[in-house]
Amino acid sequence: MLKYWRIILLVIMILGAVLAMGFKIYPYGRHGVEVVYVSDDSPAKGFLEQGMIITSLNGAVVDGTEDWDAKTESLSGRVDMSASGQSYSFNVNDTLGIQVMDMERTNLEFGLDMRGGTRILLKPKENATREVVQQSIATLQTRANLYGLKEMKLYPVGGADGWYVQIEAAGVGSDIVNDLLSKQGTFEGKVIKPVELSGNAGTMVLGDQTWPVTDANGTVMVAGKSLSPNDTITLKNTELQFINRTGERLVFLAKVYEGKDIELVYTDPQHSGMIPLTGGAYRFYFTVLVSESGARRFADVTEGIPKYFDVQSGEEYLDSEILLYLDGQLVSDLRISADLGGNYVSTPSIQGSREDKDSAVEEKMKLQTILRSGALPTTLETVSVGIISPKLGAGFIQDAVLAGLLAGIVVVVIIVVRYRSLKVGLPMLVVGMSEVVIIMGIAATNDAAIWSVVLVANLAVVLAAWWKKHEIDVSAWVGALLIPLIGMIMGVGSFIWTIDLPTIGGLIAVIGTSVDHQIIIADETLKGEKERRSYTLKEKIKRAFFIIMGAALTTVFAMLPLLFLGVGLVRGFAITTIIGVLVGILVTRPAYARIIEALFKK
Amino acid sequence: MDSHRALIIIPTILLLFSVGVLVNGYLQTGEWFERSIELKGGSAIELSLSEKVDMAAIEDALSQKFSLEVRELGGLRGYGIEVKVGPETDPQDVLSELDRIGIDTDQPNINDVAAELGESFWFQAQLAVILAFFFMGGIVFFLFRKVVPSLAVMSCAVSDIVVTLAFMQLFGIELSLAGFASILMLLGYSIDTDILLTTRIMKGVGEMKDRHKSALFTGLTMSVTTLGALSSLLIFGLSPVISQIAMVLLIGLSVDITFTWLQNSVLIRWYCERRGAC
Repeated sequence: MLKYWRIILLVIMILGAVLAMGFKIYPYGRHGVEVVYVSDDSPAKGFLEQGMIITSLNGAVVDGTEDWDAKTESLSGRVDMSASGQSYSFNVNDTLGIQVMDMERTNLEFGLDMRGGTRILLKPKENATREVVQQSIATLQTRANLYGLKEMKLYPVGGADGWYVQIEAAGVGSDIVNDLLSKQGTFEGKVIKPVELSGNAGTMVLGDQTWPVTDANGTVMVAGKSLSPNDTITLKNTELQFINRTGERLVFLAKVYEGKDIELVYTDPQHSGMIPLTGGAYRFYFTVLVSESGARRFADVTEGIPKYFDVQSGEEYLDSEILLYLDGQLVSDLRISADLGGNYVSTPSIQGSREDKDSAVEEKMKLQTILRSGALPTTLETVSVGIISPKLGAGFIQDAVLAGLLAGIVVVVIIVVRYRSLKVGLPMLVVGMSEVVIIMGIAATNDAAIWSVVLVANLAVVLAAWWKKHEIDVSAWVGALLIPLIGMIMGVGSFIWTIDLPTIGGLIAVIGTSVDHQIIIADETLKGEKERRSYTLKEKIKRAFFIIMGAALTTVFAMLPLLFLGVGLVRGFAITTIIGVLVGILVTRPAYARIIEALFKK
Repeated sequence: MDSHRALIIIPTILLLFSVGVLVNGYLQTGEWFERSIELKGGSAIELSLSEKVDMAAIEDALSQKFSLEVRELGGLRGYGIEVKVGPETDPQDVLSELDRIGIDTDQPNINDVAAELGESFWFQAQLAVILAFFFMGGIVFFLFRKVVPSLAVMSCAVSDIVVTLAFMQLFGIELSLAGFASILMLLGYSIDTDILLTTRIMKGVGEMKDRHKSALFTGLTMSVTTLGALSSLLIFGLSPVISQIAMVLLIGLSVDITFTWLQNSVLIRWYCERRGAC
C-alpha cells in the first residue's frame, strides 16, 4: 500500500480540496436569497441589511432569485418575511425596494465577471501615498457601512504609477455606487446632558448661566417652554434635545459640534499615534482642532456634569458621553475625561483602546473619518468603470464546466489515438482534473482548518513511507507539505483569491501545461526498445522530470511580472498559473509517473 | 541531412513576412499593434440580445453622433453586440441612443477605461513581457549552461511572439490585457517544446535521426492536444476574455510548431553535429 505513497498523497489532497470548496454551513437552511441592497424608499430600510438571508415570503419558501422575482412582482399591502432567523412584516405601498442575489453554494469567492456587479477604479488626483489611499478606503468603507453596503469590497492596488482604490460591489449597479461616492456627510457631535430633579424641579446649567427646569405631571418645562420627547430648545447658542426621564433624571442631548466646528483632524505623528498596552492591546490617540464656538459650547454643556471613577481603567470620567452622528445616524460614542468637564479646550485629544493593533488602527481611522464628516482626505478620480450584467454572468460557471469537459474529451481522444491505449490517456484526464480541483480547493475561503488536517495527514504518509524505506523524493515531500500550507494561507484575510475570468484563463493554461508534461512523462517512460536497454525506468522518469521542471520553472518566471501588472487586473491569471504549476510538479506529476510506472512495469 | 537544413527557409520567410506586416502597420497607423480599450482608454459596451439586429442600421444611427465600432458577438452562450467608443464619449450617451433606436439595453456590460490608465497599462504590459523574457532566458541558460542552444531557444521564443503579433494584426485581433497574458503563456509553451527538443537531442541516446524523431513525436502530441482543447473553448465562446486567450494561443502554438521543428531543431542538430559533442 505505502509503495504508492505519492498516489495516497494525491487522494488526500483531492479530498481536502473537495471539502474546502463544498463544506459549508447554512445557518438558515439551504433555501433563500441574499439581500444585496435595500433602497431608501423601501419599507424594509433600517430592518434588513446587506448579507441577510431571506428564507420565506408570506409563508412560502423563497428558492432562488427567479422565485423571488416571481413572488415579488406584484406585491402590495402587508408582507411577512423571515430573514436570517427573524420575522418581519412590512407595509408595501409602492415598491419593496429590496435587491437580492442567489446564496453562495460553495466556499469559492466568485468574481464580478460571474456574479454581476460594479467595479470602479479610482485614482488620487495628486500622487498619494499608500497611507492616504488607505485613509480614503477607511472613509469610503465607513460611508458604505452607513448606507447599507457592508459587502462592498475596497482595496488599495498598486500600479507602476502609484496607488489606486479598487471598489467591487457584487450584485449592485453603478448608480448606487456612484451615489455613495458623491455623498457628502453631515457630522454632529452631541453630549448627553443630564439634569437631576429634586421635587420635580431642577436646573439646566450651561457655563455660568442657569435656567429652571420642571417636570410636573409629565410636562417638561425648560426656561418657560414645554418640551415633549425629541423636542428641541436653543439656549446660549446650544441646541438641546429632550430625550426622556429616567428616575429622578431628565436626559438631554446637546449638540456641541457640527461638521464646520471640526477644523482639522491631525494625523501627523506628533498629534496622533498608537501605544502598545499589556496583553497585546493597543491604545490609539489623535488630536482634533475645534472652532472657538465649538469649544465654548463643549465647555458650557459639560459644566456641572457629575464625575465618576472607572475602576477598570483607574481614570475619572464625566457621567455623560459624546455621541458621534453621520447623516443623522449614530456611528460611535466616546467617554469624556473628567478633566475636560467645564473647560474650554480647542484641541481635544481622542483616545481609545482595542484588543489588538489591527482593530485599534481600524477604530482610529473610523473615528477620524467620522470627524471629517466622511470627507475624503484626497480627491479621487474615477479612471475605470466596469459594469457586469448579472444576465451575462448567469450560467457562466455551468458553461465553463461544460467547456472544460468538452476540452478534456478532445484531449483524451487525441491521446488514445496517439498511443492506441486507454492506459495512458485516462489517468491523464483524472490527473488533470484533480489539479483543477486542488487549485480550486486552495482558492476556497475559510478552509484553514481543513487544509491543516490535510497537512497532518500528508506528514503522516510521508513519514510512514520514509520509515518503511521507500524511495526518497524531495519534490514530492515538499509538495506534500507546501501545497496544504498554501491552501491554509490562501483565502484567509488579505489573501482572498477571487475566481474571476483571468483565473479561469489561468486554469486553462494549467491544464494545457499539465497535459503537455504528462505526455513528456509517458513518452520518456514508454520509449522504444533501444532506450530500454540503456536506461532503467527510474532513470527515464528522472530525465522526464528534468524537462518538466525546467519547463515549469520558466512558466513560473514568465508569470511573476504579471503579478504586478495592470493594477491586478490579470493577477488572477498569474496566481493560478504559478500555483497550478507548483501543484503539478510537486503533487500530480509524481503521482502520474508512479501510475504509469505501475501500469507498464513488466 | 542537408535537405533537413533547407527547411529553415520556411520559418525565415515567415519571420521576414511578419516583420513586414508589423512595419507596414506602423507606417500606416503609427502604432505597432491594434490595442484594445484596456490599453489605450475608451469604453466597450456589451449587450446580450434575444434576437438578431440589423448591424448596418445601428452603425448608421450611431455614427452620426459618435465615432465608434460595432460588432456582433456569437458563440454557444448566445447572441449579442459590442459597441466600442473612444475615451471622449460617455458610454451612457451611447446607451440612451441605442435605447432610442429600439435596442434592448437592459443590463449591459460596460467597461470604461480612462485614457491615462490605459496608457499606464500599456507601459506596464510591455515591461512585463520584457521582464518575463529575461527571467526565462536566465532559466534556460541555467538549464543547459551552453550559449548557442540557449540562444536558439530564446530566438525561437522571440520569433513566435513576432509572428503571432503579425497574424493577430492580419486577423484583426486587438491586443488586450488578456492577450498579453496569453503571449506570456505562449512564451512558456514555446520554451516547453524547445526544452524538450534540446534535452532529447543533446542528452538522448541512439541515432540523431531517432532522437529528433522521438522529440518531434512527443512535441507534436503536446501541441495537438493543446490545440484541440483550445479549439473547443473557442467554439464555446464563454466570454470575450476566454476567447481572446484561446485565439492568441491557437495562433501562437501553430506558429510555435513551425519554429520549433523547422528552425530550432535545425539549429540544435547543426550545433550538435558540428561539435560532435552529442
